[in-house]
Amino acid sequence: MLNVAIKKQFASNGRASFALDAAFTANQGITVLFGASGSGKTTTLRSIAGMVTPDEGRISLGDAVYFDSVARVNLAMQKRRVGFVFQDYLLFPHLTATENVAYGAKARHDQHRRQHVDDLLKLVGVDYAAGRRPAELSGGEQQRVALARALASDPAILLLDEPLSAVDVTTRSRLLDEIVEVQRKTAIPFLYVTHSPADAVRIGDSLLVMAEGSIVQEGKPLEVFNAPLNVPAARVVGTENVLVGRVAGHQPEEGISIVELGACRMVIPYSHLAEGSRVTLGIRAEDIIISRERVSRTSARNLLAGNVRHLLRDGESIELVADCGVDLKVRITPQAEHALELAPGVEIYLLIKASSCHILS
Amino acid sequence: MTWSAFKLSLLVVSVATVAVTLAGTALAFVLARREFRGKEALDSLVTLPMVLPPTVTGYYLILVLGRQGLLGKYLFALTGWTVAFTWEAAAIAAGVMALPLMVKSARAALESIDRRYELVSFSLGKSELETFFRVTLPLASRGILAGVVLSFARALGEFGATLMLAGNIRGKTQTMPLAIYEAFISGEDQKAQLMAVILTLTSIAVIYLTNVLSRPPKAA
Repeated sequence: MLNVAIKKQFASNGRASFALDAAFTANQGITVLFGASGSGKTTTLRSIAGMVTPDEGRISLGDAVYFDSVARVNLAMQKRRVGFVFQDYLLFPHLTATENVAYGAKARHDQHRRQHVDDLLKLVGVDYAAGRRPAELSGGEQQRVALARALASDPAILLLDEPLSAVDVTTRSRLLDEIVEVQRKTAIPFLYVTHSPADAVRIGDSLLVMAEGSIVQEGKPLEVFNAPLNVPAARVVGTENVLVGRVAGHQPEEGISIVELGACRMVIPYSHLAEGSRVTLGIRAEDIIISRERVSRTSARNLLAGNVRHLLRDGESIELVADCGVDLKVRITPQAEHALELAPGVEIYLLIKASSCHILS
Repeated sequence: MTWSAFKLSLLVVSVATVAVTLAGTALAFVLARREFRGKEALDSLVTLPMVLPPTVTGYYLILVLGRQGLLGKYLFALTGWTVAFTWEAAAIAAGVMALPLMVKSARAALESIDRRYELVSFSLGKSELETFFRVTLPLASRGILAGVVLSFARALGEFGATLMLAGNIRGKTQTMPLAIYEAFISGEDQKAQLMAVILTLTSIAVIYLTNVLSRPPKAA
């Protein structure tokens, strides 16, 4: 288990100063560190790797203490066994794909080492390009090699800093699945930094939301996205509800497709996705209508019954979280809150147009 | 005179170039990668021979290395040997004059490398030394090689500082540039011409090499 509790003050050169004050734990599986740019995600990651020294605090992974300001411990990068994957790959340009991976491999018997490197290249699916230099590899291939290289050093944890932001959309989708697969096969905990909600929901086993240098909420990705607990978290995760489900059927003549989301079914505009395929839906909080009565004969194709979970006031608007089997955020005005007498526990109905449900990449 | 001067030049320049390559790269690494007090002062000191008249540099070298010099007196007391008027003096003078070019090229090459390559190497468990030889040096190799070639050329043409520290002793400290001067002064025009041509051809080869080395590698 990774334990982090660190503080670092950054000098203010004219601009407002930035303070990192992050405390969290990360367990097995993929933990996503989510936040806007400038929220301190990368600094946190670099502190764990040993590239940045915090002012105070403690970082440990299992029994290994990486940093402890009280005990004056600051383990050298080389001794931390932390793999790091950068956004721009940073493959050594003078080495081939194989040589890059072999560079990371622990010095063992030559033949074992070669086998180990071959296995890793196969694991990430670039064994066909083993002899190529980075300049002859596509972005996706380079990121796969970078992943294999980081794994070659037998890390105790792998840190990935926005690893997919430089690859194209189609490759990105494939790589996300591959990263999950690699994590499951290697059983090394991954800490994955991203600012993409779709990516976070798709690969995260747990989610940490970071805002202005602190962790403002943690939990299961979908719960966090659709039921932020506080205003900073609500601001970071945005006004989009993110839902993961499966395509349950199509009615092309009616212009709709059906998506199953756990307990409920959602009608969305007709899509060509294959039946049974996984799909991530986005519904903006301001596109959802709340009614206190069950409405019939409406053009909104989705009518969900539920309860108010909680209300968060942020400036002139209110973010209401409704529990309808799945959690959904709804953005309303204070006037609507008063007129409908909305309070935690109150029974409500949500009306959502099919066209308000869009498929996230 | 021509042949012995050529041989001596070759010896002096080879020794100077090897020494400057090693010392210059190490100095450049320290200047490019470390923060310490007096860093800019060190940079200025190393660069000084590039802007000073060579005879002034030679004069300072005598003050430091001469028999009564700052360091030279200890050397003489300990070994009874002094560097002045030996071929080693010519090599030292050539080396000191070439060092700024080496340091400038190597520092620029090292500073142009993304530091994160080194961080990746550290995170893969590699020591600083192993990282330097397997990552930093290969990535900076073109710039460093360009520095080596420039240093070689500077050392080959060295005149003023050499004359001050090593003198102009035929067969002992008389390198090609000094020999050309002497041949010309004593009216041996043909000899001077021959040696000038040899040095010119060498310099053209050096310019060509530098250009090839400083060109970025072609993508395959």
